[in-house]
Amino acid sequence: MLALVLIGLSGLSTRAHPEIEDAVARINAQIAAAPGEAALYLERGELYARHEDWIAAEANYLRADELSPHLPRLAMLRGALSLATGHATEAKTHLDQALTRTPDDLEALILRARTHATLGARDAARLDYDAALARASAPAPDLFLERAALLPADAAIRSLDEGIARLGSVVTLHLRALALEESLGRIDAAAARLDRLAAESERRESWLKRRGDLLARAGRVAEARAAYSAALAAIESLPEWLRAAPDTVKLTAELARFGGTRP
Amino acid sequence: MKLRLALPCLGLLFALPALQSATTIIRGPYLQSAAPTSMVVRWRTDFAESSIVNYGTERAQLTSSAKAEGISAEHIVQLTGLKPGTKYFYSVGPAAAKVPETIKAKTETTKATAEVEDAPGRAAINTFTTPPPVGPAAPMRFWVLGDPGTKNAVQAAVRDAYYNFTGTRATDFWLILGDNAYPDGTDSDYQKAIFEVYPKTLATSPLWPALGNHDGKSANSITQSGVYYDIFTLPTRAQAGGVASGTEAYYSFDYANAHFVCLDSHDSDRSPDGAMLQWLKADLAATSRDWIIAYFHHPPYTKGTHDSDKDTDSGARMNDMRAVFLPVLEQGGVDLILTGHSHVYERSWLLDGHYGKSPTFDATQHVKQKVTGRADGDGVYRKPRARTPHFGDINIVTGSAGHAASATKPPALNHPAFYLAINEAGSTVVDITGLKLDVVFLNDKGEKRDWFTIVKE
Ligand SMILES: [Fe+2]
Repeated sequence: MLALVLIGLSGLSTRAHPEIEDAVARINAQIAAAPGEAALYLERGELYARHEDWIAAEANYLRADELSPHLPRLAMLRGALSLATGHATEAKTHLDQALTRTPDDLEALILRARTHATLGARDAARLDYDAALARASAPAPDLFLERAALLPADAAIRSLDEGIARLGSVVTLHLRALALEESLGRIDAAAARLDRLAAESERRESWLKRRGDLLARAGRVAEARAAYSAALAAIESLPEWLRAAPDTVKLTAELARFGGTRP
Repeated sequence: MKLRLALPCLGLLFALPALQSATTIIRGPYLQSAAPTSMVVRWRTDFAESSIVNYGTERAQLTSSAKAEGISAEHIVQLTGLKPGTKYFYSVGPAAAKVPETIKAKTETTKATAEVEDAPGRAAINTFTTPPPVGPAAPMRFWVLGDPGTKNAVQAAVRDAYYNFTGTRATDFWLILGDNAYPDGTDSDYQKAIFEVYPKTLATSPLWPALGNHDGKSANSITQSGVYYDIFTLPTRAQAGGVASGTEAYYSFDYANAHFVCLDSHDSDRSPDGAMLQWLKADLAATSRDWIIAYFHHPPYTKGTHDSDKDTDSGARMNDMRAVFLPVLEQGGVDLILTGHSHVYERSWLLDGHYGKSPTFDATQHVKQKVTGRADGDGVYRKPRARTPHFGDINIVTGSAGHAASATKPPALNHPAFYLAINEAGSTVVDITGLKLDVVFLNDKGEKRDWFTIVKE
């Protein structure tokens, strides 16, 4: 075990990571000069972790922990590593510790939300996502998607729409909401969402085609045909060279086959 | 970032003539999120003050002004209601309000105008040209730098070689492909590696960046926080075209008849059901531009200072970009893929469908047109104008804008996807004129080391 740790510590695999060779060499030199400096091991561990060399990363975190167990970011980084390597229970311990020490650590909060989700603790995960989304000034759309995955369909749609209200008309959030709306039989809501997406897009035809597909699946045949016809009209308004594009030609044929008629 | 406030000085500040302002511009100005009718102007001062940009289409008449709320040392001002394809003159800072008068008083002689123009700090008048209307063709030149930010003489030589090459031809915009500021992408790294190296280009040409692994040391994509996200103002709501991504980590924009897509190959979810890939599909499906150009940091193919065949290299990011993203880009009809990370220049044949490791490369299957793409050689690449999935694209690794050729560890440079691979410092210049796209790789000595053309018809 000690041998393993020593191998990991000394950067067994720098040669596999040419992009961190220089940085590791720089830290190695600093460690040689100050072997008791915990922050240097933390920095080296983080470098390895970013390149998914978990063994080397962990060895360095352990050394940092020996030297200075309360080092800022250490518990968060150990939590991240545990989660990435499939040890969610350990991750939770580290992240609880991180958040006890630094309750404002947004990164730790997001990691713990994911940890809870991995452990199946949906309510705890949701609470952490709520807190993270409230705290983040510019959350990535992924966070809204991750939270939505934990919620019943109805609440998930509201959560996604909250994301859209905050971040703009983000297509990835709309796509998830569309699937949920259809699963709940909210065809009108989904159709209205597709109308919005069509109105915002330069290529309305693909969204109108989806609208037609949605209505057809719901058995609303006449409305589906109208949507397909609207898609054909949208194609008609494209410049000739775009109408001639293979994917547009294919879409046009499909729309006609589904009962769409040209204006 | 901590802002130093100089509140007691403020009243005085406004009373001061333009050239004796109490604050100094210590960064910028630089141009962001350029769109045909809007432009974001950013700069930093040593003390907090109002954020004002005065601008106009005549040097002596900066009659319009735009202001951000409050006072700050980090200034972000959006100009709106601009005319597309139009040259604007501008100056920044609260004292800039005085500049028109100063100029009026001095414009009687050209010498006096030059004095104002050359004066340091806020009195300087810079220019930018708004992008032309989206859709119709308009000639464009953009400059592409991968891994530039080493702060060394090579970076400066690559820059100067381009300045000599382009001469008076304006750079309409420029792309930096990640690893923009070594070693850690900190604010001071950016100051020395970007802001102090390219001040002229920053003030006159909008910059579109991508996130690299070195930038990623000081930035976090899921929270969109850290230095990279603080420094750049990028479109999250499709403000410059394309489809809203909701994040600055990946985004798209339009310029005339070209559509540009920036991906975050370093720190965003790269999985097939991840938000970035879903957005990419929707974004590509929604564009009507003639050209599609994608740029990001980690190359799908390389045998330079990195090896795209090794999963342990760069946490398999190159593998993900090749196996997960490249099929979607090629289905979407991409024409050109620009990457860095590997500190060399590698340029492919016109390719399609190679998503495995290099031993699975089969020229008969994956090379769509086996010519070098040169009008003065065996002929240019030809593609149909209408977007056609899987018709072929050129992959370029141009990651040597700050890196000299490595003599001690010469890279293998033997990936079969590439027509040409060279171990030299340099940058890439792209000109699009209507349905013709010309690419040049210019080394640090100003030599054209590669060139090719794609024509659509
Ligand atoms: Fe890199």
